[in-house]
Amino acid sequence: MSQSFYVITWTDVLVSFVLVAISLGLIRWWKIGLEKTLLIGTLRTFVQLAAMGYVLTFFFQQRHWLFMVTLVSLMILIAGFEGYRREKEFRIPHYFVIITGSLFFTVFIVLGIILKFILDVQPWYYPYAMIPIAGMIIGNALNSTTLTTNRFIGELQHRDQEIEMLLSLGAPARVAVQDSLRNAIRAALIPNINSLMMVGLVQLPGVMTGQILSGVDPLIAVRYQIMIMYMWITTVIIVDILVLAFVYRQFFTPRIQLRRHLLLKKYP
Amino acid sequence: MNKEPLFRLTSVSKSIGGKTLLDNISLQIEAGDFLSILGPSGAGKSTLLRLFNGLDSPTAGTIEYQGKPLFSYPMTGLRKRVGMVFQNPVMVRGTVRDNLLLTQRWEQPSTNLAEETLVSVLAQVDLSPAILDQDTKTISGGEKQRVALARVLLNKPEVLLLDEPTANLDPQLARRIVRLIHQLFKQLKLTIIMVSHDYSLLSKYTTRIAFLIGGRIVEEGAADILEQPSTETVKTFLAKGAI
Ligand SMILES: Nc1ncnc2c1ncn2[C@@H]1O[C@H](COP(=O)(O)OP(=O)(O)OP(=O)(O)O)[C@@H](O)[C@H]1O
Ligand SMILES: [Mg+2]
Repeated sequence: MSQSFYVITWTDVLVSFVLVAISLGLIRWWKIGLEKTLLIGTLRTFVQLAAMGYVLTFFFQQRHWLFMVTLVSLMILIAGFEGYRREKEFRIPHYFVIITGSLFFTVFIVLGIILKFILDVQPWYYPYAMIPIAGMIIGNALNSTTLTTNRFIGELQHRDQEIEMLLSLGAPARVAVQDSLRNAIRAALIPNINSLMMVGLVQLPGVMTGQILSGVDPLIAVRYQIMIMYMWITTVIIVDILVLAFVYRQFFTPRIQLRRHLLLKKYP
Repeated sequence: MNKEPLFRLTSVSKSIGGKTLLDNISLQIEAGDFLSILGPSGAGKSTLLRLFNGLDSPTAGTIEYQGKPLFSYPMTGLRKRVGMVFQNPVMVRGTVRDNLLLTQRWEQPSTNLAEETLVSVLAQVDLSPAILDQDTKTISGGEKQRVALARVLLNKPEVLLLDEPTANLDPQLARRIVRLIHQLFKQLKLTIIMVSHDYSLLSKYTTRIAFLIGGRIVEEGAADILEQPSTETVKTFLAKGAI
């Protein structure tokens, strides 16, 4: 049997800069003018991921549940802050607390199910499982909440008259924004559902490609990937619904009035 | 108990970002009034009207409805009793029927609206039942305004708030709609508060008039104050034709 996996060395990685050199040559030739940015991006990828490798190696050596829980909490806080920072244009009251809280809840549920019932890892905080899975959940959840929140505000902006019309007929706030909520969630979900439809047909997901390259049996890699896809979609649905359930309330007063001023840009 | 006016506004002001939109307004509206709120553009008429069904809150002063603070009522119930029609009637996507049945999105299913109810409310606003299944994208401005009226009437309101319901219609159609509103006012024993630029349109029907200029009520009283305006501002406003 021939060698079933190849160890890639740092020298090999340096050789892969040839690929970047080709791209650099091409954009120079066409005078696209992004050489510097591309170069910086390339270097940052190298430095950040290399650093991450060492950091992960350190993390994986830790054997205390409290360390793992703190680490995951820290990741969630950073993600919450990033989500809050991305919401530049509009001021949503309590947005930081909303995202961070929703992320905590979602990670708790999804990670819990995976670690306890699917992989059944021993101990439950086994870092090789916990850290990458938590990272994936948090990353997907963050992107999706940004998308869904922005879409929701966009819907409110162009439906403000409709919403006030519904309120004036006696509708509760929740009903008045029902269509906006639906559209916002759909917008965030459709790309994910599409990838459920297309996965494996054209492109192998990155995680799976990496696993197969490093010698894992494709059938095992595939099982992981199926789990990841389900995890992904569940994460997105839970976190988006949770975030919007709290976000929409910020746009109404206790007297069920639309807080129109929140729909104006933060910096006029 | 019956002595209480329907609405009592006491020293109501509204300011947003340091700008005073409504300035110390006191006003009483009796059940059965047809009150016209007249005034130039930007006077604060819409701002004032939105206070009556609690779409906005005043920044100072109090509003009472039937002797109790307006905001002490559950807002969803209050807004059914105090219906509102906006300047640009907003339709949700779908047919006229979908729009008339909107309240079923949140009411208990027991309030299922029978077909006859829809037909009779359409008759009240002078529309034929044939329009029920027409897409609201294809109906005319005047029809839209009447569908909006019918939609509110299905809530069986006590009060109707109308924000320039005829502003986008040609004069002839505008007169027809105002006549229709007056008929409903008589038939259903409503109280009406209607905002307008155009006093000539309302003069035949209105029982009371309030002039709002620069966020203040400069004149208020029975319909005949139109003939004998006591303040200069109102005289100028009327002389300019008021459109
Ligand atoms: N959210 C707001 N922030 C600042 N100013 C506002 C706001 N809403 C309304 N205004 C101002 O308040 C004033 C009164 O507005 P309002 O819509 O009540 O006038 P109106 O009498 O209904 O006018 P029109 O006849 O043109 O409809 C206007 O000058 C308007 O620019
Ligand atoms: Mg107005």
